[in-house]
Amino acid sequence: MTACTIHISDMHCSACAAKVGKVLAGIASVKSSHINLVRRQVVVEHQDPELPIELLFALEEAGFSPTFRGEEDHDGNQRQLLKRLGIAGLACMQVMMAAVALYAGTPDTMTMGVQHLLHYTSLVFAIPVVCYSATPFFNSALQTLRSGSLNMDVPIALAIGIAFSISLHATVTGSGEVYYDSVAMFTFLLLGARYINTRLQRRFGQTHELLASLPQFALRIENSVSNRVAAQDLCPGDLIWVDEGAVVPIDGVIERAEWGTRYLVDEATLTGESEWVEKRNQDTVFAGTLNAGPGFAVRAARRFQQSRISDIAKLAEQADVQQAQLTQLTDRIAAIFVPTILLLAAATFSIWQFINPSKAMETALAVLVVSCPCALSLATPAALTAAMTRLRQLGVVLTNGAVLEQIAQVSRVYLDKTGTLTTHVPSIQRTQVLTSKYDHKACLALAVQLQRHASHPYAKAFQRLTLDQEDQTALSDILVVTGQGVQGLLPDGTLLRIGSAVFANALPQPSSPDDQGIYLAAGDDLIARFEVSNTIRSDAEAAIEMLKNQGIEPVILSGDSPQRCADIAGALNIDFHAGCSPEAKLKAIHEDQKRGAKVLMLGDGINDIPVLAGADISATVLEASELVKSKADILLLSTRLSPVAALFRIAGATRTITHQNLIWAAGYNLLAIPFAAAGLMPPWMAALGMAASSILVMTNSCRLLAQRPSNLTESTAAVN
Amino acid sequence: MEILTILIPLSVALMAIAVRVFLWAVNTNQFEQLEKHGFDIFEDESGDTS
Repeated sequence: MTACTIHISDMHCSACAAKVGKVLAGIASVKSSHINLVRRQVVVEHQDPELPIELLFALEEAGFSPTFRGEEDHDGNQRQLLKRLGIAGLACMQVMMAAVALYAGTPDTMTMGVQHLLHYTSLVFAIPVVCYSATPFFNSALQTLRSGSLNMDVPIALAIGIAFSISLHATVTGSGEVYYDSVAMFTFLLLGARYINTRLQRRFGQTHELLASLPQFALRIENSVSNRVAAQDLCPGDLIWVDEGAVVPIDGVIERAEWGTRYLVDEATLTGESEWVEKRNQDTVFAGTLNAGPGFAVRAARRFQQSRISDIAKLAEQADVQQAQLTQLTDRIAAIFVPTILLLAAATFSIWQFINPSKAMETALAVLVVSCPCALSLATPAALTAAMTRLRQLGVVLTNGAVLEQIAQVSRVYLDKTGTLTTHVPSIQRTQVLTSKYDHKACLALAVQLQRHASHPYAKAFQRLTLDQEDQTALSDILVVTGQGVQGLLPDGTLLRIGSAVFANALPQPSSPDDQGIYLAAGDDLIARFEVSNTIRSDAEAAIEMLKNQGIEPVILSGDSPQRCADIAGALNIDFHAGCSPEAKLKAIHEDQKRGAKVLMLGDGINDIPVLAGADISATVLEASELVKSKADILLLSTRLSPVAALFRIAGATRTITHQNLIWAAGYNLLAIPFAAAGLMPPWMAALGMAASSILVMTNSCRLLAQRPSNLTESTAAVN
Repeated sequence: MEILTILIPLSVALMAIAVRVFLWAVNTNQFEQLEKHGFDIFEDESGDTS
């Protein structure tokens, strides 16, 4: 069984998708087909090696243009659309210039000659709009009509076509109204909406590249012989050989390694860490990572489909499905909307035949134009695009615009402590001098000199401090005891130790086992105790305050010790759950969700992945590993936390603005249709109204671009 | 109003130039990287890595 992917660039709507499905179902050797409307492609599983070509022929016969290469076509389409949009825009300006003169002119002020000149000028500029820019609408309308169904493009194509024909007739005969302005404006605005939509859709399709780095085949070792097998068929327990320079095909454990051999693996695809990771016998390696050292054997631990890297792909597919649902919804609305519009226009035309036949065409056209759901289709994408742009300026990247709607409903934010509320840079929080022999400064100077040799993360807190020349003491025989501390000799021969309580004081001393302090001892006497922890982010307090002001409850959810969590929670004045395993974290979130609360989780560690996946919305910071970033809905780019608070404000504003847009657009359509049908609205006014309604929706959405991060951010920025 | 006989052809000519410039911009991908630079920070710096 093999699978192939076929791209069908002109598969726009669910009607087209249904037709493709029908064509594929008619071919005997096709086992199954999966149609993806958003990415305009279909994946076909089949047994016949000749099949793909045959499929292309069958699809072509059905009126589609299928290809094997999708991405380039997509770029080409995008560029083509941009050209159409730009030319429509430029022409639109010129046509409107003439139109304004025509509106303003009365028989007293404008001679017939000038009027004709302006009509012909408009015609010159309207021709490229209709013959070049508007062709996608005509093609799409023709295609659906040929397949016996209707879509949004049918009334659009009709309105453009009829309005242009009438205007052309009026221009040539010199009598009657011209609607070139309506035609040009209409085309430009609709193309604009379509362009925004395709840009949004393209974003959703860009996440699958990671999986492309995975090898298709693996070397399976059976009875000391290696066989080439498809990577997808590997099972847990299989032994696989990974050659030097090869990509690991599956998550597993290194086995049968020679004792003491060190292997090197480049895990940059998963963690973003460019430094190679050292692996030994029984260490875990992940699919998608690169073997940078000698070849090794791996015992597969999970199925290929469950490997970490394919989790990433699942997330991307979810986004696709969501987007597909949205598209289907629009199509369903169109399926009801379009026949109604056409019927309304036809009814208006026939009724006006009895009242005043000379006004019938004009009125029907007005109905057709005014009822176009142009503003309605712009309402949501415009607001989402504006909000995402503004958030990116503030250093927040959303992987999926749809989450904004959910963020507005969040009532509780869980924050991981290390790396999120705090930075990864430790600092000395407190120094206690335990003896009278040394003062505070001398203790610190000795500690710094010893810690310079250490590699423990917390030693960095000491290494960051600089010492004056006179504070330096000549230490000799410095010895780093890995995992415990550092020792050295003072000039007078006293042994100086710094490290955990046990290491610093060889004598048994009463100290609680979870004492996190770092002790400095001279000889047998403890002389100082240091408390080191990661620094709280500079604006954490302000950000927490802003969240609280917005009615959102921030809670620390950490695997760290209760003592450390309490310190930070106390400083920030928030609740905390300490000592949580990933399961406990997930449970806390599920309990909230059971109570109906929407939860946002902000975390950065690999151990947070289950919680991030469990939360309604997940957010992470730039320093997080690549895998976590790929899982998260939201990525914070700055090292500050205040954008989180801004995120909630903007999400709330986006929701309000989307609702305003939808109410306005739908309300406008519903209100204007009766006016147009009653003949109270000439087509130019209908087009102006429609354009104004679209522009109002766009302008309203642009208000999101001007959202200030918050009042407090500016004050903290001043402090920083 | 005779001025229109000059101004209108002029506007057609200007429009033709504007269209040519716009098509050049699209064809040379001037609009392709509007967002890319915002994402550059995700990528490794090419200078100092081997």
